[in-house]
Amino acid sequence: MSEAFVSVLTHEVQYAALAFMALVYTVRIIWILKFTAPAESTPARGSHSAGISHAMMNIAMPWQLESYRRKPLRYVEFVVFHVAVAVAIAASIIRPETDITLGAHSSLWNDYPIIGLVCAGICAAAVVAGVLRLIRRISRPEMRIISSPDDYFSMILLNCWLAAGVFGLQAAAPVWATVAFFVLTTFFLVYVPFSKISHYLYYPFNKWYIGKHLGHRGVYPKGMAVVGGIDDGTDCATAVVQEESKANA
Amino acid sequence: MTKRSENAQKVVDNFRKKITRQAALSMSICAHCGMCTDSCHYYLATGDPKLAPAYKADKVRKLFKKHVDYNPLGKIAPGWIGAKDIVSDEDLDELKDVVFGTCTMCRRCTISCPLGVDKALLIRTGRAMITEAGLAPQGIQDVSKDQWTVGNQMGVSDEDYTETIDWLNEELQDELDDPNVEMPIDLPNPDFVYVVNPREVKYDPRPLIAAAKIMTVAGARWTLSSAGWDNTNFGLFSGDNALGGHMGKLVFENVQRLNAPKLVISECGHGFRATKWESPNWAKAQLDKPIDFEIESFLETMLRWVRTGRIKLDPTRNPAPVTYHDPCNLGRSSGITEEPRELLKAACQDYREMYPNRADNFCCTGGGGAMSMAEYAKRRIESAKPKADQLREADAKTVATACHNCIDGLSDLIKHYELGMKVQTVGELVAEAIMVEHRIWPDGKPRTGSAGEGKKVLVVDDEQDMVTHLSALLEDNGFEVIATTDPTAVMDLVKKEQPDLITLDIKMPVKDGNELYAELRGDDATRATPVVIISGVDPKELPELDLRKYVYEHELPKPEGFVDKPVDPEQLMLALRKVLELQKRAEA
Repeated sequence: MSEAFVSVLTHEVQYAALAFMALVYTVRIIWILKFTAPAESTPARGSHSAGISHAMMNIAMPWQLESYRRKPLRYVEFVVFHVAVAVAIAASIIRPETDITLGAHSSLWNDYPIIGLVCAGICAAAVVAGVLRLIRRISRPEMRIISSPDDYFSMILLNCWLAAGVFGLQAAAPVWATVAFFVLTTFFLVYVPFSKISHYLYYPFNKWYIGKHLGHRGVYPKGMAVVGGIDDGTDCATAVVQEESKANA
Repeated sequence: MTKRSENAQKVVDNFRKKITRQAALSMSICAHCGMCTDSCHYYLATGDPKLAPAYKADKVRKLFKKHVDYNPLGKIAPGWIGAKDIVSDEDLDELKDVVFGTCTMCRRCTISCPLGVDKALLIRTGRAMITEAGLAPQGIQDVSKDQWTVGNQMGVSDEDYTETIDWLNEELQDELDDPNVEMPIDLPNPDFVYVVNPREVKYDPRPLIAAAKIMTVAGARWTLSSAGWDNTNFGLFSGDNALGGHMGKLVFENVQRLNAPKLVISECGHGFRATKWESPNWAKAQLDKPIDFEIESFLETMLRWVRTGRIKLDPTRNPAPVTYHDPCNLGRSSGITEEPRELLKAACQDYREMYPNRADNFCCTGGGGAMSMAEYAKRRIESAKPKADQLREADAKTVATACHNCIDGLSDLIKHYELGMKVQTVGELVAEAIMVEHRIWPDGKPRTGSAGEGKKVLVVDDEQDMVTHLSALLEDNGFEVIATTDPTAVMDLVKKEQPDLITLDIKMPVKDGNELYAELRGDDATRATPVVIISGVDPKELPELDLRKYVYEHELPKPEGFVDKPVDPEQLMLALRKVLELQKRAEA
């Protein structure tokens, strides 16, 4: 494979794929905003901003989500997998601009091979997590029944892409590995907007609304229940009571 | 292309307009990670993968992907992304079975979802489509019809409602040992209007009597409304926002008609959620006047009274272990988790938590209209196993809750799983513990017991011990007391202090009670002051002090009351209360 092909693949093709993804995402956001969003017309019991913050951040607080509280290993899987996806995406953008072998002016990627190694290591851990997730999806009846072909394909695609990252992100990666990684990245960027992987695009929107909704009613932040409307004879005070919620493992 | 059935076409035609932005996001974002699976009691009880929340939500989501989603794959390759059309009546039956029969919309999976997918919202959207097509389960249709036509979910007529309240008044009077107390209906300008679940009127009045007892002891100026008194709202369950708005409007307009600054909702989970949070949105366009009053749960009302000392509780009256079941619509959809706990800790000696609790609590299995759908009863009871296990572990004799659906759901499962517990509302336990002797009357003055209307009483008795005893008794019951052992000082005292009532001994030195009574009745300034005679005189032994004879001979009006010595406190209070009430009525 010629250097020119590799350079075009890692630059122009990537930019085009990113631009395509951005375009589809923009259309998608405009589309979602066309649905009416009924507003609460009642006085709030809690705080919108606190509710939104809680909703956005509870993914980083596994003790707040019973699903993860009861299955901590799943949470580890989740974190490793999603961190690796973010790292691989970032690397697919940074490496072409910092790897002199890909036609970049900078040689940061080459000078500090530890960067590539760390990225590859994270991807390797994620492949393990991803394979476990795939096995679970295939083997568990309750997972099979909710899985569409896209669910399987997306998982396989991500695993392959991350596996390609294990080899293709290292500074001294063989050309085939680099090409494999960037070809898969291209496909990934183009396919993602039409697959379930695009859930992350909706994440801030959905969390905004559910957080605002439950914050308005004083349900979120979870564990900080607001005792509303209780007055001590002078004015309406609110008391914040620490929830003594406990897992029933 | 397969031709859709008429009903399927209706559903598809109406689908797009049911989708809000929040619903569209919850339809779009699910990654099928399966983390919600273990949060559903239906799945946990059976292990049936078709009862996993994501699967159930997918029944609606598939239609979204097919007909609404921007993703072209929904049209080009629907099977690839799990999009699916609804074509036949059998498809609709399947959808109906899922959205009505396998989910109580408790939102436990929503709270557990890492992405915040509101599956209950999707299920409600599915219910809305089925309902609009006229295919909702018969029980839901019947109750909804009653709400549309009669104004309450149990079809209670106006006549039945007032007759029931009349009958309940007698119960309340017995409970408070006060023949004058009653539940007001349509009292204008009250402190608040109290709305109830029709179950309290039709089947189980205990929560209403308990609430009325608490409100009476707290001295609240409250009222029931003759119309718009049903706080429940089947629009929440059926997905019919129009019904939701209709019921909300009925309640809100009657609060405004009575000019109340506050609406208090009885212990009903969905009733509170619907009336407090949802109906103001649904009814907004229909209301002539915006909502200009506060809306709160009776739990909040009670807790405020406990905290401010307006009602006093004696937890020793509830010695058995009590646990609390968080109703989904309060704990997961309204943020009310601490109020009932604080109340129960104040009202019960042995409060114990069940786990998990608050927003993580398991559904009672009776929510989402499940109690109205007999066809799903077997599945409902089967799904209650996690709840039964949770209750068993709590090891309590009573499970308190603040929701009528929960009461019915829990009662069913307690019976089925032989848990040997009883279910009560928080208010019932508070009413058990309430110290009636600290009753406050409507003018705000604390006059405990049923006689103490904050009135001034003059105690006349020549024995200091008796004066001290009577004074203490009357003051304990909220009276302001002035007293004298000198009968010659009475006329001046009455003119100066103008008491509302005089208790008068008969056998006294210098001037006996009969003579003094004649003086009181003979003077224009004192003639109207009621007199209760407190005497131990036996006319056979002391005929000269026979009051009956004296009154007859001197053509005096009879004294308003008579109590024998030794004084029975209850008899005395009853006599005073009766005298004061009669005087109040005469003045009115």
